[in-house]
Amino acid sequence: MSANGWFQIGVFLLVIFLITKPLGAFLARVFSSEKTFLDPVLRPIERLIYRLTGIDEKHEMRWTEYAVAMLLFSSVSMALLYVLERVQKFLPLNPQKFANLEPGLAFGTAASFTTNTNWQAYSGESTMSYFTQMAGLAYHNFASAAVGIAVAVAVIRGIARKETDKLGNFWVDTTRCLLWVLLPICLVGSLVFVSQGVIQNLKPYTTVELIEPQTVQITGADGKTTAQTVTQQVIAQGPVASQEVIKEFGTNGGGFFGANSAHPFENPTPFSNFFQLVLIFAIPSALTYTLGRMTGSQRHGWAVWAAMALLFLAGVATAYWAEARGNPQLMGVNQSLTALQSGGNMEGKEVRFGIANSALFATVTTDASCGAINGQHDSFTPLGGMVPLINIMLGEVVFGGVGAGLYGIVVFVILAVFIAGLMVGRTPEYLGKKIESYDVKMAMLAILILTFTILGFSALAIIKPFGTSSISNPGPHGLSQVLYAYVSSAGNNGSAFGGLNPNTMWYNTSTAVAQLLGRFFMIIPVLAIAGSLAKKRIVPESVGTFPVTGGLFSGLLVATIVIVGALTFFPALSLGPILEHLLMAAGQSF
Amino acid sequence: MMDIIFIFATVLFFALAILYVRGCELLGKGRPHEHS
Repeated sequence: MSANGWFQIGVFLLVIFLITKPLGAFLARVFSSEKTFLDPVLRPIERLIYRLTGIDEKHEMRWTEYAVAMLLFSSVSMALLYVLERVQKFLPLNPQKFANLEPGLAFGTAASFTTNTNWQAYSGESTMSYFTQMAGLAYHNFASAAVGIAVAVAVIRGIARKETDKLGNFWVDTTRCLLWVLLPICLVGSLVFVSQGVIQNLKPYTTVELIEPQTVQITGADGKTTAQTVTQQVIAQGPVASQEVIKEFGTNGGGFFGANSAHPFENPTPFSNFFQLVLIFAIPSALTYTLGRMTGSQRHGWAVWAAMALLFLAGVATAYWAEARGNPQLMGVNQSLTALQSGGNMEGKEVRFGIANSALFATVTTDASCGAINGQHDSFTPLGGMVPLINIMLGEVVFGGVGAGLYGIVVFVILAVFIAGLMVGRTPEYLGKKIESYDVKMAMLAILILTFTILGFSALAIIKPFGTSSISNPGPHGLSQVLYAYVSSAGNNGSAFGGLNPNTMWYNTSTAVAQLLGRFFMIIPVLAIAGSLAKKRIVPESVGTFPVTGGLFSGLLVATIVIVGALTFFPALSLGPILEHLLMAAGQSF
Repeated sequence: MMDIIFIFATVLFFALAILYVRGCELLGKGRPHEHS
């Protein structure tokens, strides 16, 4: 580890802290329909959309209506993407003449992008036409992010309001999120990426002559190996910058290229790398301020932020330490940090990003439900690779996905105040609302759906040939590959550990089901909690009220998150990365 | 054929999700009012 590396991590967290208040306040204004500087331009567009679609913007919805509207919107979007992928060869903007996707891959990808997961069992540059990338995948990047934020705002309203059963209007929240938040910032952000060298065009791929032709061994279908000299390289092109910004700002994570943010056309410079990291945490961090602002308890918002920041620092410190130590099995190799090399474990990492920025990116992308990568998590050391796994297992509430992080941590807040209430023997309260059995039942349903999905599918995949046949490494590392696939899917993260072949009918369909369950069967009980809280009246604070502000609350919240995560997943982790770490120390690798 | 299966699976999933909404709502019906 180096002072330079820690300085960059510190600057990153400082920038996130500094943008939390202004962006959070802006979000509160947008979702409270207060005036903003964008109103003169956007308000007429908003009114036109409502007129064309027949939406009554004054209509407020109960939680059930809100949930059903969200489900209908997502189902139609998912079906449209499936059809688009299946007919892409008949559609325009396909200069490479890519074929239609196979049904299993099309289904998996449609579920993946609808749920904000962006798990990719394909490489975009060799599979997707420009039309599918723009009208299908980028559309979902915006839409799924807006859905997540809308749900979070409905949850905040549920906490803030009293004696009502109304949570807002799903269509209005989604429209305002797209018009006021996502589109303007993405427009500016994509130009920032272009300034760094991220490409943006609709050209056919470029074929260039290699300066130094390469001879490679090719194994034919008959099993015979022949030498072949390669003299040309095809360089993929495309509308990358416009997709890159929403990939991070919407915590989607699906890369235009298979190499994702390790590709120089997606992430060319140290600044573009830093900008991507900031974009990932921007909205999730800001929503904690929005929570405080809209509920009238700004200190509560900051207490939640502090809990998230603490968990983030623990994760990045562990990942950085594990990767900077290097691999003890590489005896005789100089793995020390010098002016000429990063040192540590550089396998699977970009030299231009080094250890610190690779560990930071892996931590941020899995704290949030982003899933973009700038290095191969599969090539991290066992403990370094365990950090992304744990981050997702904790429910991605360390800032988390856009909206998903906020409503996810509200579930843990409910549990934390419930536990605190049990400890002091009083009815638990959350910002003046009494937490009752129904709220805790719904919170547990939200948590258990992730556990059930991750562990259930992983168990099935590691005992059946259709699951094990995709594993590339034996032993505990193979278990980590499978576990990561379902953790990433159910957690709607979408990052791949690497090493696992996910483009099979089993993995395409099972990860799709895991993504759908992890997304919608979590949102429904969370909205039920919001509906329940909105109905309650505010009771005045008493000496028995557990404060949801300050260090004690932040500490209890962190403990609740860690204990629930540890109790649930420690057995699986002990058979995967922890065992692999112990065996690595004993001289065995996988 | 596979297209029909996958579209049907999509519709089935979201239909189940809407039933889940109703189930969660029913769980909250008839619960006792809060006491202060």
